[in-house]
Amino acid sequence: MKSFSSDAQAAIVERYPSHFRPDWWSRAKITIGLGTAVALFLFGIAQLDIPFHRLSDGMARLGGFLRLMLPPDPGSWAEALKYLNALGETVSIAFLGTLGGALLALPVALLAARNVVANRIVHFFSRRSLDTIRGVDILIWALIWVGVVGLGPFAGILAVICSDFGTFGKLFSEAIEAADKNPAEGVRSAGGNHLHGVRFGLLPQVFPILLSQVLYYFESNTRSATIIGIVGAGGIGLQLAEQIRVLEWQKVSFLILLILIAVSAIDWISGKLRFAIIGRRAVA
Amino acid sequence: MLVVEGLTCRFGTKAAVDNASFSIQPGSFVGVIGRSGAGKSTLLRMINRLAEPSEGRILFEGVDVTALRGKDLRQWRARSAMIFQQFNLVGRLDVLTNVLMGRLAAVPSWRSLAQLWPERDKAIAMSALEQFDMASIAAQRADQLSGGQQQRVAIARALVQEPDIILADEPIASLDPRNTRVVMDALLRINKHFGITVVCNLHSLDLARSYCDRLIGMASGRIVFDGAPVALTDRIARELYDLEANEVMDATPALAPGGSAVPALGTVAAA
Amino acid sequence: MGRSRDLPIPALEKSMRTAVPEFPEARLQELADRYADAVAAKRRRVWLGSAVLIAAALAAGWMGDVDFRKFAENFWRFPAYFASIAPTFSFSSAWNDLSEWLWGLPRWTLLLGDTLLIAYMGTLSGAICGFVLCFLASANLVRSRTIVFVTRRLLEFCRTVPDIVFALIFVLAFGLGPLPGVLAIAIHTTGALGKQFAEVVENIDNKPIEGVAASGGSWIQIVRFGAVPQVLSNFVSYALLRFEINVRGAAVMGFVGAGGIGQDLIEAVRKFYYSDVSAILLLIIVTVMLFDFITERVRHRLLGLEGTGA
Repeated sequence: MKSFSSDAQAAIVERYPSHFRPDWWSRAKITIGLGTAVALFLFGIAQLDIPFHRLSDGMARLGGFLRLMLPPDPGSWAEALKYLNALGETVSIAFLGTLGGALLALPVALLAARNVVANRIVHFFSRRSLDTIRGVDILIWALIWVGVVGLGPFAGILAVICSDFGTFGKLFSEAIEAADKNPAEGVRSAGGNHLHGVRFGLLPQVFPILLSQVLYYFESNTRSATIIGIVGAGGIGLQLAEQIRVLEWQKVSFLILLILIAVSAIDWISGKLRFAIIGRRAVA
Repeated sequence: MLVVEGLTCRFGTKAAVDNASFSIQPGSFVGVIGRSGAGKSTLLRMINRLAEPSEGRILFEGVDVTALRGKDLRQWRARSAMIFQQFNLVGRLDVLTNVLMGRLAAVPSWRSLAQLWPERDKAIAMSALEQFDMASIAAQRADQLSGGQQQRVAIARALVQEPDIILADEPIASLDPRNTRVVMDALLRINKHFGITVVCNLHSLDLARSYCDRLIGMASGRIVFDGAPVALTDRIARELYDLEANEVMDATPALAPGGSAVPALGTVAAA
Repeated sequence: MGRSRDLPIPALEKSMRTAVPEFPEARLQELADRYADAVAAKRRRVWLGSAVLIAAALAAGWMGDVDFRKFAENFWRFPAYFASIAPTFSFSSAWNDLSEWLWGLPRWTLLLGDTLLIAYMGTLSGAICGFVLCFLASANLVRSRTIVFVTRRLLEFCRTVPDIVFALIFVLAFGLGPLPGVLAIAIHTTGALGKQFAEVVENIDNKPIEGVAASGGSWIQIVRFGAVPQVLSNFVSYALLRFEINVRGAAVMGFVGAGGIGQDLIEAVRKFYYSDVSAILLLIIVTVMLFDFITERVRHRLLGLEGTGA
């Protein structure tokens, strides 16, 4: 190899010309793909009228906010207690919302799973209605429920239930459809009817998966539950939005810190539980 | 010349390689033998610096390899090409690109990262593939090839690194007997034709005796034998392999007289 | 059971007797007891779990002001709300009603376009940042524990703070408009995708990485040739999913003044422009579903391609 001459190079190039010709087609594909992405981004800058001159000013102001945030400080013990209470509300909203959403979603997910209900029309409508519910952001649900049951965490719980109902319905039905069909076939071959097959052949194998998904969403719902307070649906978000509006940056950072700690704790617990339920592999 | 002085590698309290010292003349074909877990793999990986030595030095032509950092370290890795038991190709990339990985240290970074390889480097890679009758599959994805083909791609990759020394870590352990021959012959050809030093970890004593002109025997991290294949008597071999001795020596009756049949097997090496 | 009646019963009974041996009563009892013991532990665990769950639910219910009476008393408002936002249609003037209902369509379409652009720009910049950071957060590629730890905490921070909270703060720093929305989504996406990407990278096959390293590749080359080919299709799939989520998120950015259609929606809700609420909601839902559909198609094609090895 050391003595690789230009003659040898020319000979190789002549023998395998296809490997040495630049591959215009794939290069064009990459260029067009990247070009479109960049062009769309630039179009966005123009269309949204992104003010670049405000970017540097804003960054400076943001830096100022950050400096004012340190150290995090709730102000007084009474305030701290109030915030902890709000955090408890948020966790409760997430917990009951997740639980309620999962319980409501399970029957609908069964209807929406092709291997449980073979009827195309039922399948289509349950899927579409789940999609519709999923299309509405949790903040919008919170707005609606605040109108129904008034301000407070209860509206938040109902909002999380609604938003999770759509998400779990879709996730559950997909998990059920992905299940191994042999056990259900075995139950039916032993003389069980279709429902027996679902109950003994299908549910036992998907149940741990569903449970792990629910636990996973508990953490993500805690994060969502922190924001629905912004529209008055209780929890820590209400305090956070208020303190941001009145520029109490030390309290803001204290609240964010509380949220970070709570979410990490729940993440850790739900991870442990998921590990206990389905073992290492599925957690990863 | 490669000189290893008091090389030690500890994982926790256990020494995988314990105070290994030897030197290897340029152009030789050295087999490292011993039971699985004897430290052969760690020894080779330390020479390439994939594993960090805890103590001791590795000198190549007077340069302390163990002290190299950054660009110099990468240059050394290119000069001491590794061949792995599991081939370690990038399955999603095509064969030619995999061979071009051997040129990474020689090609400017921006060219390799943008996949704009110089024509000369591509030609070197193609000619390496051609030597192993694989030019026709240069555009295939590496994970679509058989084990034997993948290992030959890996050897081509090692070859285009223009190495001074090839470190082969159990190169044939995942291959069938036919591909074992093909791969070992390829290593031998590289050794004899280009004069590149080959250090090869082998589990099979038989292969080691027939291909290598010097054997280093390891047991629990220590070097317990160093000499010509003829000097490795059955008694030493049994000590070396301990409980695995029957597996590597007497498992197949045809190989049983391995110790005394050196000349006959030598013809294989010459082929 | 109904089916077994069709079979000749004597024959069935006879075969049962030969197939399943009959044990004496004492032996049967012993087997049943042993089975009961074996499942008792599991049953106890299930009971304990249920008890904990119910206790937690009660505590959370107390904490969260759950009031079923209030719920029952006011539940009629829920359908009533939907009834009140539903547009009025009559057969004779359906076309007029429709055009009246969607009177703001040109403006809303424009705002929806803005919303999509906010989601796109946020997702793209977030995905790029996440792509760069994820390799630094992967313990199998970075030796320094410190770098891995710091990058991970940074990603976690970006992911845990909801995008709308970032938007609230950014609106104060950058002023009203889409810019804070884009930045908020970008930062949240960096965290969310960075974490997911890092998990993918940590699960890749280590052999190609070793192969490239042993050939003398630098860290960037190791990432470029050893890691990226293994993860790229997964990354794109995750990024598309995130785009889908961000479209939803961008639709409510306007609630806090960070651009897009949310501004009009919250105004309609606050000022009780009922028919506007339903019109905007419908437009949002249709758009979100459309993009769900498109991204799902693309993802399936992507994963399908992967399967065939192209």
